[in-house]
Amino acid sequence: MLKNYWLTSWRSITRNRVHAAINIIGLAVGIASCILIYLFLQHELSYDQSFSDADRLYRVTSDMSLNGQAKKTALSHGPLAQTLTEEYPEVEQATFLLQMGQNSLRSKENALTVGISYADSNFFKVLPFPFVAGDPATALQNPFSVVVTEELARKYFGSADSALGKPLTYIASTFLVTGVISHPRPSHLQIDAVFPLHFDTNTEYMLNQWQMVGGYTYLKLFKAEQAGALTSKMPELYNRKAKPNQQMDGIAVTGYNIQPITDAYLDKDLEYPVGDVGNITYIYIFSVIAVFILLIATINYINLATARSAKRSKEVGLRKTIGASRSQLVKQFLAESFMLTLIAVVVALSIVELILPLFNSLTERSIDTIFILKPEVGLFILGIVIFVSFMAGGYPALYLSGYKPVEALKANATPNSGNARLRKALVVLQFTISLILIIGTVVVYNQMQHLKGVHLGFQKEHVISVKIPSIGWVRQKEKLALLKKEMLELPQIAYTSSAQQLPGEDALVSDFQVEINHKMVTRTINHIGVDYSYIDLMGIKLAEGRGYSREIRSDETHSYLINEAAAREFGWTDALDKRIKLPDDTLTSKVIGVVKDFNYKSLHSKIEPLIIRLEPHFGRLLTRVNTEADLSATLADMDKVWKKHFPAFPMDYQFLDESFQQQYRAEEKMLIIFTYFTILTIVIACLGLFGLSAYMAEQRTKEIGIRIVLGSSVSEIVLLLSRSFALLVLIAIVMAIPIAWFSMDKWLQNFAYRIEISWWVFVTTGLAAMTIALATVSYQAMKAALADPIRALRTE
Amino acid sequence: MSKEEFIIETQQLEKKYITDTVETTALAGVDLRIAKGEFVAVMGPSGCGKSTLLNILGLLDSPSGGTFRFLGQDISHASERQRAKIRKHNLGFVFQSFNLIDELTVEENIGLPLAYLGIPRAEADKRVKEAMERMGIAHRHAHFPQQLSGGQQQRVAIARATVSNPSLILADEPTGNLDSVHGREVMSLLSELNDAGTTVVMVTHSPSDAEYAHRIVNLFDGQIVTESLNARKHAAELL
Repeated sequence: MLKNYWLTSWRSITRNRVHAAINIIGLAVGIASCILIYLFLQHELSYDQSFSDADRLYRVTSDMSLNGQAKKTALSHGPLAQTLTEEYPEVEQATFLLQMGQNSLRSKENALTVGISYADSNFFKVLPFPFVAGDPATALQNPFSVVVTEELARKYFGSADSALGKPLTYIASTFLVTGVISHPRPSHLQIDAVFPLHFDTNTEYMLNQWQMVGGYTYLKLFKAEQAGALTSKMPELYNRKAKPNQQMDGIAVTGYNIQPITDAYLDKDLEYPVGDVGNITYIYIFSVIAVFILLIATINYINLATARSAKRSKEVGLRKTIGASRSQLVKQFLAESFMLTLIAVVVALSIVELILPLFNSLTERSIDTIFILKPEVGLFILGIVIFVSFMAGGYPALYLSGYKPVEALKANATPNSGNARLRKALVVLQFTISLILIIGTVVVYNQMQHLKGVHLGFQKEHVISVKIPSIGWVRQKEKLALLKKEMLELPQIAYTSSAQQLPGEDALVSDFQVEINHKMVTRTINHIGVDYSYIDLMGIKLAEGRGYSREIRSDETHSYLINEAAAREFGWTDALDKRIKLPDDTLTSKVIGVVKDFNYKSLHSKIEPLIIRLEPHFGRLLTRVNTEADLSATLADMDKVWKKHFPAFPMDYQFLDESFQQQYRAEEKMLIIFTYFTILTIVIACLGLFGLSAYMAEQRTKEIGIRIVLGSSVSEIVLLLSRSFALLVLIAIVMAIPIAWFSMDKWLQNFAYRIEISWWVFVTTGLAAMTIALATVSYQAMKAALADPIRALRTE
Repeated sequence: MSKEEFIIETQQLEKKYITDTVETTALAGVDLRIAKGEFVAVMGPSGCGKSTLLNILGLLDSPSGGTFRFLGQDISHASERQRAKIRKHNLGFVFQSFNLIDELTVEENIGLPLAYLGIPRAEADKRVKEAMERMGIAHRHAHFPQQLSGGQQQRVAIARATVSNPSLILADEPTGNLDSVHGREVMSLLSELNDAGTTVVMVTHSPSDAEYAHRIVNLFDGQIVTESLNARKHAAELL
């Protein structure tokens, strides 16, 4: 019997090639999308899972209060690790890690910019990075040792083995490689080179004070089950150790928590994360879209199967007459959908294999092409096959098998009107989904364009930033001053300056004493350090007062610039000469000027209060190139100047407009993926429409023949056949608009600078969808209308 | 004749079709008894209810009134599931338009009833082969229906109708789509089956086909108007 089901299914598929192709293509693309998203989801959920004992690894997080605003952060106090190890029996070991950002690390031959981490000597006992060379227990004991990853070791020394004991220069000191690790990936930790925290007394100090937070505490439990017990002890630990030492009014830690290391990557609500942070929301959005694509393909199957039911009713009647029971027929039809789904899965797997490299580069992940060997992927695919077979085949199977034999045997059974209604409803559903996605894509695109065009309050074009290599602060200061002077002599350069933080990057946050109502009040405020000419170079406008000036000596010691947001925040109508003081400052500074608000952070957030400090000696070199100058020639000239001072280092430069744009990369990637998926949904929906209209035209062949014989024109026939579909698309448009508007408006609320969704988005997408749908349908209608009417009448 | 020997007994069998506006009576009180081993031809003008009667006798349709006994069992109100079961085990159908499944080969078409009966593969293959040989179509076993002539297709249909050894064969205008040579061929096949013990009920327009039957029932406006015995057939059997 089973063989009979297979055979019938196979022949039914091969005899109706167009029909089968529409189903297979649609289902394959839907299944491929689901597999891709599943692989992506699995990858995102697998962060830090490959650490041995991952279930025993935890990170301490801190609840903090910034100007009374509660925030959760990944940061914690320096002495916490030692306290946890010594006083808490659940903790096997704990460690403290500082992430120092990117900096240059040199061997004799090579200077590379790498991620710098400082850690105490327990680091590799807690976080079990596998050692390729060296001893994890002792690697960080000597203050002038460094542990690097295998990739780095290869870049510097050719191989991991030869790296051990070799010197690397960082800032002005030499460190010997004591360990080479392989980095278990994916991981939220981005480790390139780890230095012992105690080589630098400034950072070593962090280990002994409960006032500042700035690093990350990781711990390993003896047993995974002890997490609950340790969690319940965290308030006591906070109250005993940290609370009595909270001195600052603005920033304060208000509690500790622990978090499994495997949750670290996807916790996007924590501020000051360690490294990469995933965004589960995007995964959810894409999962929904993938399911939508599959749904649309499934609907195609249902619609084509029921549309074809008139043709198959005779077969059903016959089989019943011969003695088939309903359940046997249900099985037969399910076998057919099962077989089609299986073929679709094979096609889908090939699509996934082909598209995976592109997908990886779009998502910046490295999902393996041998994914199929993983048992859970196999199970997932099996689940899809069963789900789709039943979803797609279930209704047609029940419906077709329910025919009464006598009626079914009467040549062509009359089309069931309930069935036609269901088909129409499903087409409306398909187009509603497609339209929502199209509108969504257009809105995302418009918002991205809007962000690019928003007036930032500064001129981001033609600004080049150059990193100064770490060669010790005295020499860095000298070189920066020389570079500023000499580059300004180049005719193409209008301004040179320097800044510690660039727009689009995080500003520093500190507690300042601010004069409010004649009293000094503590406020936590963003601040950046810049050179004299920064404001001119950036094209930032002054609202009040003046900028920093070399001629006025007090500017270097006790003057501050603020932005308008700060003046508003402090309630200053006349900000000039108002007093501001950093707790460490000996002198109280005065406000000498207020700059107009500019977007020094991302456009996701509103402009916050900002203090612009004068810091002429450190930071990145900035140059503004004249608009008419040739950029590549200018860069070549800059490089000549650079080479005089840093012959051993390449000039590590970036264009400000490009680096500023980097912060919207996640959104831009999302937009690209979104666009691909949207195109797929509309194509698959139209494939279904194509098949459906073919059947409709076929069903009405005789009617069309009669109409043509009676003198109807081709265009009248096309209109006749297209009209009903046009109505369905129209209903879909009406349904999609409010849903799309509501959900996209919600998304736009994430942006401080957002567009309003205008009516023309709906009009153009609606028109586009209608045009595509009608073009699809009219092809079949034209074909039917142009056919020989005599033949149409004869084929009864 | 004792009661048990009747394969079909109907009393006041009625069938009405009710649409939105009109009620049409297709059968208006049909009393019919068919004994085991009989060959009955049902004749009458178009629309007299022949096919309706055949569909009810074949358990493809249910009557609106009256009683219907099949092999002594009252099945006037049997469920579709019960009727399907009786069909599967006792009945074979031959249609005017052959009604073969286009996607299946000759062999597979003939084997289908056995598959639905759950007969083991080896046994089924053997019976399909026998049926094909009996009908002279064994050389065409791998062909699809469209590749055969009308006469050949009807022989396949008969082979399919008889492969499960049904006790009753219902034939609806079996020669209607055939030329006279092939028509006669089909009728003699049905006759042979009847000689071998199978009861045959056949609806026909053709007096010459009716000649093969023992008894001819004439329907008019949903009622039996005359019944006549076929003297020649009886005489032939007596010889």
